Amino acid sequence: MEILKEIAAHVENGRNNEVRVLVGKCMEEGIGVSDILNLGLVAGMNSIGIRFRNNEVFVPEVLMAARAMKSGLEMIKPILLKEKVPSKGTIIIGTVLGDLHDIGKNIVCYMLQGAGFDVIDIGIDVPKEKFIEAARNHGAQIIALSSLLSTTMSYMKEVMEAVRASEIAGTVKVIVGGAPVTQAFADEIGAHGYASDASGAAEIVKGLIG
Amino acid sequence: MKQNMRKWINDILCSDTRRAFPLMMYTGLELTQVSINYMLQSGKLQAECITALAERYPSAASITAMDLSVEAEAFGSEVRCMGNETPTITGSIVKDAESAASLSIPAISSGRIGEFLEAAALAAAMITDRPVFGCHIGPFSLAGRLCGMTEALMNVHAEPEMLHVVLQKSTEFLRGYARAFKESGAGGIVIAEPAAGLISPAHCDEFSSRYIKTIIDTVQDDEFMVILHNCGSVSRHVGTMASTGAMGMHFGNAVDMEQVLKAVPLGLLAFGNIDPVGVLKNGTEEEIRRATTSLLLKTSGHANFVLSSGCDVPPGTPLRNINAFFRALDEYNSAEL
Repeated sequence: MEILKEIAAHVENGRNNEVRVLVGKCMEEGIGVSDILNLGLVAGMNSIGIRFRNNEVFVPEVLMAARAMKSGLEMIKPILLKEKVPSKGTIIIGTVLGDLHDIGKNIVCYMLQGAGFDVIDIGIDVPKEKFIEAARNHGAQIIALSSLLSTTMSYMKEVMEAVRASEIAGTVKVIVGGAPVTQAFADEIGAHGYASDASGAAEIVKGLIG
Repeated sequence: MKQNMRKWINDILCSDTRRAFPLMMYTGLELTQVSINYMLQSGKLQAECITALAERYPSAASITAMDLSVEAEAFGSEVRCMGNETPTITGSIVKDAESAASLSIPAISSGRIGEFLEAAALAAAMITDRPVFGCHIGPFSLAGRLCGMTEALMNVHAEPEMLHVVLQKSTEFLRGYARAFKESGAGGIVIAEPAAGLISPAHCDEFSSRYIKTIIDTVQDDEFMVILHNCGSVSRHVGTMASTGAMGMHFGNAVDMEQVLKAVPLGLLAFGNIDPVGVLKNGTEEEIRRATTSLLLKTSGHANFVLSSGCDVPPGTPLRNINAFFRALDEYNSAEL
């Protein structure tokens, strides 16, 4: 449908006003929210994600696209919830205790949303108990831990240990990322997944949930 | 002590042996046995830390602490210090065009700025065999701390006029700070502009490089050198970085140093880029030796290359790892000779 392609293009170009107008028009015309979501909003975010991975665009362009996607998503969310449109999975994401740097975490959030997942962003400086509580309350399949600092990344190990010792062990998988984090570190703490960049995070989650 | 930085550069360019200048200061805390928070509050303690490192390691230069919260703190941002880590800015003080317009440019004596200048002055007086560099944040990275990083990044598209207002004020403050470093006796400054690595080369030109150029035009001369540091994925930003006029460019481990060196204009020094966390802090001595030797071999054809860490060597990096880094350099230089 042409209008959905237009929505996707406006998301990709970060034009949130245009996205809102077209999403409103789709709703008036009775186009299904599932199509608006997947063929419009998510498709646009997917495109920008591919261009970001190919170094064709940079972080501001991804952030603008994410803002446009979110503005459309907000409009259809009540109907999505009412119609119980199934999501691809639920992810809890936050930066670990002591770490206040959220730009990397935010970009991963947007990429995961763009890939069609429900993402619950529980913010920065998050203690292990809060990750577990959020995963339990939202029935999440994945906890995503972010850290920018070499000192705070060691807290990821504590979160892993707390998850293993909790009732969500076995049902929730933990992925880790951030500038100082490496595959070797992820292996060492027993994380289920590691990605070196935001696009990679979406791929890892697809593999773990799919 | 003032040094001729043009000569310092030429000595490196003409040297038969490879030199190293890691962005290393916090490692000195292991030598002076002072906590990071105390050190960052005291110019004297910081100078002692810089001097202790200079006495122990044959680095081509020394540097003040890379604490990229100091400048935003001077503007009034809230700073949070946690454990053995450099302070971090919390929240944002510029939220809209109105607060950008009313943002005051702080005096150079504000907050802890004076302590960092004192550290540079004391270290420059005590260390006479190599230049001491001051270190301050770049204008776009400072704007990110004042506005919030996500907002600053989005504002290159959404509110560029507002962002330029903040950048003009940031730059005016940083020009004064750079001048004060020069007056302190430092041989130069390292301008750390990591956030500019997150934007396109064209945006980097508009929102970072042209502002940095005004700082460099203010202070750089034969006795005072500016090194522009960007530890982002900036392979495509080398041109705009060079357009600032900086005499040196410092790269992080997100780039392939061998490739980047091909784009760095002849005559400019290029510093980089051993992974500061994965290798220098968390690696074994053997891993550090391998990474350092490999980088030295790959860059051997470039006289303007100076071995360095890819970013600030983080607090808690063991001295034995720094020993391994310099040992690998020694082995390489001995083998070359």
